Amino acid sequence: MELLLLLGILALAYAMVSAKRMSALIAGFKFQSGLLFVLTGLEGLYVVAAIVLLLKVILIPFFLFRILKQIKVDEQVGFVVNPMLSLLAGLFLTYLSFIFARNLFSGGELGLIIALAVSFAVMGMGAFIMIFRLKALTQIIGLLVIENGIFLLASTLTGGLPLIVEMAVFLDVFVSVIILGIFVYRINALFTGIDVDQLKGLRG
Amino acid sequence: MLIRALGWITTIIYLIIIPLLFFFGSLDALSLYFALVILVVALAAALYSNEYIAADFESGLISKPKALAYYLLFNLFIVSMLVVVVVDNLGVMWAAIEMTTLISAFLVGFYNNKGAVEAAWKYIIICSAGIILALIGTILFSYALLGTAQVDANLIKVAFIFILVGYGTKAGLAPMHTWLPDAHSQAVSPASALLSGVLLKTSIYAIIRYSILVNSFLGPDFTGRLLMLFGLFSLAVAAGFILVQKDIKRLLAYSSIEHIGIIALGLGLGTPLSIYGALFHVFNHAAAKSLLFFGAGNIVKKYHTHDFAKIKGVLRTLPFTGTMILVGILALVGLPPFSIFFSEMIILLAAVLKGSYVVASLYLFFIVLIFAGIIYHFSQILFGPKPDNLIVTKEPASSKLAFLFLLGFICLLGVAMPGPFNRLLLSAVSLIRGM
Repeated sequence: MELLLLLGILALAYAMVSAKRMSALIAGFKFQSGLLFVLTGLEGLYVVAAIVLLLKVILIPFFLFRILKQIKVDEQVGFVVNPMLSLLAGLFLTYLSFIFARNLFSGGELGLIIALAVSFAVMGMGAFIMIFRLKALTQIIGLLVIENGIFLLASTLTGGLPLIVEMAVFLDVFVSVIILGIFVYRINALFTGIDVDQLKGLRG
Repeated sequence: MLIRALGWITTIIYLIIIPLLFFFGSLDALSLYFALVILVVALAAALYSNEYIAADFESGLISKPKALAYYLLFNLFIVSMLVVVVVDNLGVMWAAIEMTTLISAFLVGFYNNKGAVEAAWKYIIICSAGIILALIGTILFSYALLGTAQVDANLIKVAFIFILVGYGTKAGLAPMHTWLPDAHSQAVSPASALLSGVLLKTSIYAIIRYSILVNSFLGPDFTGRLLMLFGLFSLAVAAGFILVQKDIKRLLAYSSIEHIGIIALGLGLGTPLSIYGALFHVFNHAAAKSLLFFGAGNIVKKYHTHDFAKIKGVLRTLPFTGTMILVGILALVGLPPFSIFFSEMIILLAAVLKGSYVVASLYLFFIVLIFAGIIYHFSQILFGPKPDNLIVTKEPASSKLAFLFLLGFICLLGVAMPGPFNRLLLSAVSLIRGM
């Protein structure tokens, strides 16, 4: 069951890396968070699971969809690297993550290694989305995907962070999405659209 | 009226909190020291904000709610930095550092023009991405320390690299510094002083906490080499950009990268003397750099430009600010008898005594280069005739007080080391050395 969930999380990361439309990207994040919710629920961490459900499955995707609708941004994610190549990069990142996890935890059993490899791969693909997509919103989503990977890492390695730390991290994630959202509105008002390649006025 | 009153209240609050700090028995020397630095700069910045924000409001640059929001953000920002240095949980510390980014982002994007919004966006995105690496490091650390029997040296090393790159991004260590000149040059001037003077230091504090932990397992060599490497690289990058800089606030920002580099170098050398120098430098740089950002704020207000080529005759146009900047610059580049000279010399001496001649000579080389660059740029703007279109106006007393307050520290610590301050530094040093 757990393995199935992990594969689902990985598959959704591939879907996001190769997504062409903004709404698909947000939906991908929503479903990935949904799987994380199920995973945490199965581990018996009910409080954390409830927060994941509330924050990452309901509130944040809702907020992101709202921005998408309000500023009437065009649906393209703005590729620097095309979807096919991005998917290949995603597969390569997965391979690297597997090697990294195997070397770092050389004594670990295969289940642990796979879980770690998936979490590192998800982080890698989140970073990939941040770097190789042009919209301001995609950078937010990339950051959130990295955070999903870290959440997975924490829950596999240490059985979740201590509750107070987990709460503080969730608070940060939520506040940062809100604040980044505010700045997306400001960028949209000051520049034409929300393509981040316009943000190059400050140099040297 | 309301805004001025708020400014004074804020100032008085910090004036009261500073002595109270010493009654917190539970803080160790390191936390106490960093909290002290934060509060001293916060007091000066509050004093300076008073007139700065009131003038912005009166000239119609910002609305009244915005001026009120400024004070809310200002205080939240200080509180979040204080949380970083007083909590005893590394996970909560991480969350507090991320919170400092999120709050100060509004101070960076305060004027809501293209430059400010661009800087704020880059600031949040780069620092969040950086600090998320630190979270990975934090998790790996907590896993490595979970097993009681044998600590995996490899895992600790990998975790520390994540921590150093993550918090190093926020501290402004090159090559992760790219957000820093943008954010520091676009922020409201009192906030620039806070960003440069103390925010960078809170991340240094986090790095120190982790290196204490790592050193207790692996000895000081591993963390020391990495810190020296990043420190020297930051010095090199700062030197290059300072020489060709055209924007006054960006120059000060690159100079912060230089000084963070010096602090990292001092910590990396790892002898008691060099760590003492590095910690002393934390305070000295905070005082001098805040003073200069206040000065730069006044210049930008008067001349309406950041461009060195368009600013002339500051000493005649703004006699008081001009004099303060002149003294501040001499202090910043490390001339005696100001305090930065002594902390920089302590670190140089420590490097020579340790026998790291290559490090010492590289360090000296970059410092001389930066010395030349900064003196050259500032002599251009300070001297010369007054531009005809500007009139000399009286400068407000509260901002003069902020300058004199910081200048007092820079001069006092240059000629005498107060006993309690020295003892605080020494016990922080022995804490870092793990004794």
